[in-house]
Amino acid sequence: MKVLIVEDEKTLAFEMEAFLKKSFYVCDIAHSVKSANENLELNQYDFILIDLSLPDGDGLEILKNAKMSHPNASYIIITARSNLKDRVTGLDLGADDYLPKPFYLLELQSRMQAISRRKFGITEELLSIGQFKVDLPKRFVLFEEQVIELSRKEFDLLSYLLLHKGRVLTRVQLSEHIWGTFVNDDFDSNYIDAHIKNIRKKLNAWAETEWLETVRGVGYRVKKS
Amino acid sequence: MKLSTKLTLFITSSKLVVVLLFLLALPFLIKQIESRYTTYTLKQQKKKVLSIIQKNGLDYYFQGDDTYGSYTMLKEEFVALLPVADKFKMDTIADSKRLIENDTLDYKVLSYTFKQGNKNYLLEIGKTTERSDQYNKPLQRFALYILLALIVITILIDLTFIRIIIRPLSRIIKTKLLNSKFPFKSEQKRIITSTTDFKYLDESLINLMNQINDAFYKEREFTSNASHELMTPISVLQSKMENLLAEENLDEKSSIAIVEMMKTVSRLKNITSSLLLISRIENDQYIKKENVNLFMLLSEITDEIGHRLEEKHLQIHLNVSQESILKNVNRDLIFQLFFNLIHNAIKFNRERGSITIEDGKSNSGAYEIRISDTGIGIPPADLSLIFDRFKKTNLNEDVGFGLGLAIVKSIAVYHNLKIEVYSEINKGSTFKIS
Repeated sequence: MKVLIVEDEKTLAFEMEAFLKKSFYVCDIAHSVKSANENLELNQYDFILIDLSLPDGDGLEILKNAKMSHPNASYIIITARSNLKDRVTGLDLGADDYLPKPFYLLELQSRMQAISRRKFGITEELLSIGQFKVDLPKRFVLFEEQVIELSRKEFDLLSYLLLHKGRVLTRVQLSEHIWGTFVNDDFDSNYIDAHIKNIRKKLNAWAETEWLETVRGVGYRVKKS
Repeated sequence: MKLSTKLTLFITSSKLVVVLLFLLALPFLIKQIESRYTTYTLKQQKKKVLSIIQKNGLDYYFQGDDTYGSYTMLKEEFVALLPVADKFKMDTIADSKRLIENDTLDYKVLSYTFKQGNKNYLLEIGKTTERSDQYNKPLQRFALYILLALIVITILIDLTFIRIIIRPLSRIIKTKLLNSKFPFKSEQKRIITSTTDFKYLDESLINLMNQINDAFYKEREFTSNASHELMTPISVLQSKMENLLAEENLDEKSSIAIVEMMKTVSRLKNITSSLLLISRIENDQYIKKENVNLFMLLSEITDEIGHRLEEKHLQIHLNVSQESILKNVNRDLIFQLFFNLIHNAIKFNRERGSITIEDGKSNSGAYEIRISDTGIGIPPADLSLIFDRFKKTNLNEDVGFGLGLAIVKSIAVYHNLKIEVYSEINKGSTFKIS
């Protein structure tokens, strides 16, 4: 998958690239409207990530141009501006998603995965993990033919961990995914532990869940099978 | 007291004083007028008598006698003509008492000597002064009635006039002070008036309002800009840490250190986005068009926050009508409002306490929602501060960074909701939203 990162903050662009590389994305970086347009003329991209405030213009202009030359690419707008008008204009112009700064790279990646899944349809409807099967679009967990009831938040948590199999997810990352951009007055991620405990309890009733690991002091991980 | 009332009272009383003085002075005035009139008639009569004597001779009066005297029936007037010594000369008008047929009466008497055929004569014409007193009382009463009527008429005229003159002032008060909501409209209309004082007042008020507005918008802009500018560096920090954490050969100690750093950055991010949220609400960047079922919304919140209730073994009572619909609101913001309040109710509650959420009519009949807890309560001195940004009133516990209630307040203001707090130390607090 080829990605164009349009971001004038160079350090951030490099960090995004470094993170996405690990998931086998190939990235190009543009720091201005001009270099972005050059890149768009030369290459084909699957993903175009656009920061709206650029030194020589507005990211929405790039979006408008690119939509014509790259109709099949997926667009994610990334910005600190994030007011309602920009958001609506961005989505009207054909952006697939909108990510307000600051965001977790993990969140960016899962948005990209979600867009891919939407676009191509999931090849494998059911994700297998241990002795369980998880249906992401229909939101349920199966043990053999038995449906296991999970609460909404529990399912969100489990599926997020599954989608990032092999990666350690911190409590902060998990809680931000679950709560979205909701502004919470104080930081307290105990409830992530509470949810994980519940998930384990519910699944352990049917089979082992050693694949759901606690990484001491850091967070949780679903082991790569 | 209103200015127009004050003016009317003052005008009325000053008029009354003038009228009273006039009425008191009235007898004296009447006396003066009467005496002048009497003098005048006496002189006229003298002329008449003298012209008759000239024409017809003294015998016309004397008819053989050497004196003449006559008075009217009620002794109001008299005329006397008598010869006097040659050297005697007189031409006066004076008050004197006269005895006429056993009655001593006050007269104004004109005495005049004149020569007629070698002889000197004295002519006396008298007019009583007593009858003038009879007029005083009725005249005073009559004058009083007329003047009172006149006062009433002038006061009515004054009132209308005062009202017309003062109207610009009440308009200034109404448009600039009573009905203007902060932040003020940028284009304030000037009140049309020809009174320079009012013009000056109006102009000064408009200037003040503009200054306040400027300061307010600047502060707002600053918050918004500062928060925006902070977002990018925070993004950089956050992504660097994420990448570090994903390194394959990272020892446990470093991982934990990075996670701690991520927590701090996350805190910084939350503060910044809270400020941004407040600034966006204040800048009207949310659409209020949704209708929200209160019961469903609250159930969703208690669902999400359920684990915290369990941690503290709290009971939650949700006595809210299932039909209550909040109209024309922004669902996300209203969710945030109740979330923050319930979150606080949990945070400041005691172990095995309870939280009650109920709705209904308030004492004044308006719809209200009450959220009560059995927590530590808020000291009375702090009640007015709790909605301020970064104000932490309870420093004993880890209370976050003090923006939760500031957000609640700005959401409430944005939706024209009134929010009140009642609290008792160690018994709990109640937040009323109406």
